[in-house]
Amino acid sequence: MASVRSTITKLSIVVVAMYGFSYALVPIYDTFCEITGLNGKTNDVAYTGNDIKKENRFVKIKFISNVANSAPLYFEPAVTEMTVQVGKPYNTHYVMKNNSSKQLHTTASPSVTPGKYAEYFKKIECFCFNQQTINSGEIKDLGIQFVVDDDLPTNIGDIVLSYTMFDITNNVMESSKL
Amino acid sequence: MNRLSILLIIMMSSVSSFADWEVNMPRGVSPTANAAYDLHMLIFYITVVIGIIVFGVMFYSIFHHRKSKGAKPASFHESTTVEIIWTVIPFVILVGMAVPATKTLIMMEDTRDSEITLKVTGYQWMWKYDYVEDNVSFFSKLDNKSNEARQLGSKIDVNKVDNYLLNVDNEVVLPTDTKVRILLTASDVIHAWWVPEITGKKDAIPGYINELWVDIKKPGVYRGQCTELCGKDHGFMPIVVRAVPRQEYVKWVSLNQKNRVADKSE
Amino acid sequence: MSTNIDHIKEEHHHQPSGLMRWITTTNHKDIGSLYLWFSLLMFFIGGFMALIIRAELFQPGLQLVVPGFFNQMTTMHALIMIFGALMPAFVGLANWQLPMMIGAPDMALPRLNNWSFWILPFAFAMLISTLFFESGGPAAGWTLYPPLSLQGGNSMPFVIFSLHLLGASSILGAINVIATILNMRAPGMTLMKMPIFVWTWLITAFLLIAAMPVLAGAITMLLTDRFYGTSFFTAAGGGDPVLFQHIFWFFGHPEVYILILPAFGIISTIIPAFSRKKLFGYDSMVYATASIALLSFIVWAHHMFTVGMPLAGEIFFMFTTMLIAVPTGVKVFNWVATMWKGSMTFETPMLFSLAFIILFTIGGFSGLMLAITPADFQYHDTYFVVAHFHYVLVPGAIFAVIAAVYYWLPKWTGKMYNETLGKVHFWMTTVFVNITFFPMHFVGLAGMPRRIPDYAVQFTDFNMIASVGAFGFGLSQLLFVYILFQTLRQPVTAADKSWEGAEGLEWTLPSPAPYHSFDTPPKVD
Ligand SMILES: [Cu+2]
Repeated sequence: MASVRSTITKLSIVVVAMYGFSYALVPIYDTFCEITGLNGKTNDVAYTGNDIKKENRFVKIKFISNVANSAPLYFEPAVTEMTVQVGKPYNTHYVMKNNSSKQLHTTASPSVTPGKYAEYFKKIECFCFNQQTINSGEIKDLGIQFVVDDDLPTNIGDIVLSYTMFDITNNVMESSKL
Repeated sequence: MNRLSILLIIMMSSVSSFADWEVNMPRGVSPTANAAYDLHMLIFYITVVIGIIVFGVMFYSIFHHRKSKGAKPASFHESTTVEIIWTVIPFVILVGMAVPATKTLIMMEDTRDSEITLKVTGYQWMWKYDYVEDNVSFFSKLDNKSNEARQLGSKIDVNKVDNYLLNVDNEVVLPTDTKVRILLTASDVIHAWWVPEITGKKDAIPGYINELWVDIKKPGVYRGQCTELCGKDHGFMPIVVRAVPRQEYVKWVSLNQKNRVADKSE
Repeated sequence: MSTNIDHIKEEHHHQPSGLMRWITTTNHKDIGSLYLWFSLLMFFIGGFMALIIRAELFQPGLQLVVPGFFNQMTTMHALIMIFGALMPAFVGLANWQLPMMIGAPDMALPRLNNWSFWILPFAFAMLISTLFFESGGPAAGWTLYPPLSLQGGNSMPFVIFSLHLLGASSILGAINVIATILNMRAPGMTLMKMPIFVWTWLITAFLLIAAMPVLAGAITMLLTDRFYGTSFFTAAGGGDPVLFQHIFWFFGHPEVYILILPAFGIISTIIPAFSRKKLFGYDSMVYATASIALLSFIVWAHHMFTVGMPLAGEIFFMFTTMLIAVPTGVKVFNWVATMWKGSMTFETPMLFSLAFIILFTIGGFSGLMLAITPADFQYHDTYFVVAHFHYVLVPGAIFAVIAAVYYWLPKWTGKMYNETLGKVHFWMTTVFVNITFFPMHFVGLAGMPRRIPDYAVQFTDFNMIASVGAFGFGLSQLLFVYILFQTLRQPVTAADKSWEGAEGLEWTLPSPAPYHSFDTPPKVD
């Protein structure tokens, strides 16, 4: 029965395509997040453009920190609040201390709220682009250089920037063993 | 079958006559919770009216168009006009619901002009609160009495425990008549922060930050719970918010403030 | 087509007997029966878990189980009821009915049919065996949200593998259904002349084919996140736990309609039969079903309004979700219009169908309330949601399955069930289902979260009522089993056309229906 066979073939293609689609949703989601600020994620590679113009308006940025899974880390922003001029680059840093008795590997995940303003918060330099290694008892300054895009809408409230620090020592150890 | 229409009537009158049985959403003490309550009641009454009409027609038919009463089946089985009408009317009703719902949503998402910021972090299984501007910070978990009583085979009568499962060791204190921005995140798995009378819930997601706002209009103690399954003790991480007048809040802050720098050397 | 029929006939002659008959069978009726019995068994296992849950929730304080085990029960109850009880029940009905309704001898792919059934017992044996692991069964909810599900014990790979098997079984079944419907209809039966049950199953099968692979993808990503160092869903590696929820519900919402569209088909068959009047608005029923299916792919995020979406996203998903009320409303209005000026009698299948319309509609109303995003912030993850989806799945989907069994039982067995007992079963089931689930609306609105093993004392009264109802509901289903066995012991007396108003090709066959439904295709004009 040729027609049954062709139905099966077509349907099997749909099945395979839909399985592929579930994986395609990963990059689609990332792109979608970038456009809409869906999860408040900021750029994860350094901003290198130079098309941002300085404007005579200011916006308040609040810095927040979290330590995931109660890892033995002290992790706090050096300054909790900055009023910044739109279009002008600024520097600030977070302070991290390893309270454990061994060396730790960490990585930070940034998040901005309201999420729709995440795309205007451009990081020129950020500790979150790389993993950190920190010795027992060591205190580190983790720097950020950022600029607020002049496309930022007017009449907005404060922007909150949050970093969550993850202890990924176990993952790093495991992959180095391989 | 009449039972069902009785149930509907009970539901309609529930707000007043069943007050102490707690059959309805509580009216809020914050603009967002109030708006949610109003929308809830609006949609509820609309569905009740639709239900009465549709089920009314259906029961009329069940009682009158039955074979035992000698009913002969009619032969009609389609009518484009009728079908278009009952596609368009629900659509119009939906638009009527969507307008106030959208307005409320826009109001709820607007966190601008908040005066203080409270950061809430979910842990398995407790909450941490950080008052971002005021440097107050503490953990809050199920109080000891509830915790003892809730153990399997504790033999403690939970009815005699004060606010069983809804009491904590450290309450959140917030000022009344103040717009408070609440930032939500988590340390381990997803939790959700919910105090029905002051705000709807929002998820606290590890690595990400969410927000909502409250503006409590009435001093009092408001209780809620974690509402996203977060492991074995998900049912045991309550939230208690004590809303106090502004001056009292300022006093509370000065008593509980800590020194940030001292903290670092711990 | 003739080669296929010869092939089946040939197999018929070498048919083994005893247990081997059931293991090797490629007959659509045998396989349909296997599916239905299996589903009944799973319904009782899942129901037993529900009763453990309700027993613990009978009063505040923990009396019977520890919280970790309670979470395993809620998780397993959902997985077993959805994948073990409801989906196989509908596939069983499809197996029995589709060939008879379209005038075919059997399903298009009999051997595939055998496989898709026999995967199930193995998958469920594996799933249920995790409960006996030292670290216990899955406890992160049937939705398997990470990071919580990544914390689980050793059960996780087994649960995921069994879900893969269940998905494969459903996909094979769906391919078979589509191949059968598209290729094996009797001459003259155009698509728009197909019985409505066939239509709803055709659309359901497409939903299965589009949705199940997405679930497979999502849980495979979970597995690699846990064991192979990927980080699709962990923020530490740049992933996002919310992404899992998006992918899961992209499958999950169509899944909801997979569970309800065949039920719509059953109700649309039974209401006209006992109203002795043609289904009102056949065309619009078909279009409504198709539009519900299409809409189901663009509403998924209404399950996750509280994850913090941008305003535009919340508004979009609110509007599309509300839109589903339109085609669903059309269906309810069409059913009422079918009854209008009919000549109704109220045998058991009709009673279950009428209860379906009312109680499913109540579930639809609470669904509409849940669609309103700002109000959903209050309802989300409370017992209000539990009440909502149990109203659409128990007096919705399950009532439809029960109605279908009563309706077609005389055709399948040639024997008539006891009408009085059937009515007793109906009234007990309907009363208890409401005693169980209606109070859940109240505790949910009053603030009781779902998936908690213990609760504050102000929720006690309604929880007690719900628990009493649940045990009553469970006991009433034992009566159903009794009725089934009692029917099977009867002599063959049922007429070929067992119901005065029944329409369709299946009623032109003798009762019980012959092993091969239509050896020569009937003519349809
Ligand atoms: Cu929690």
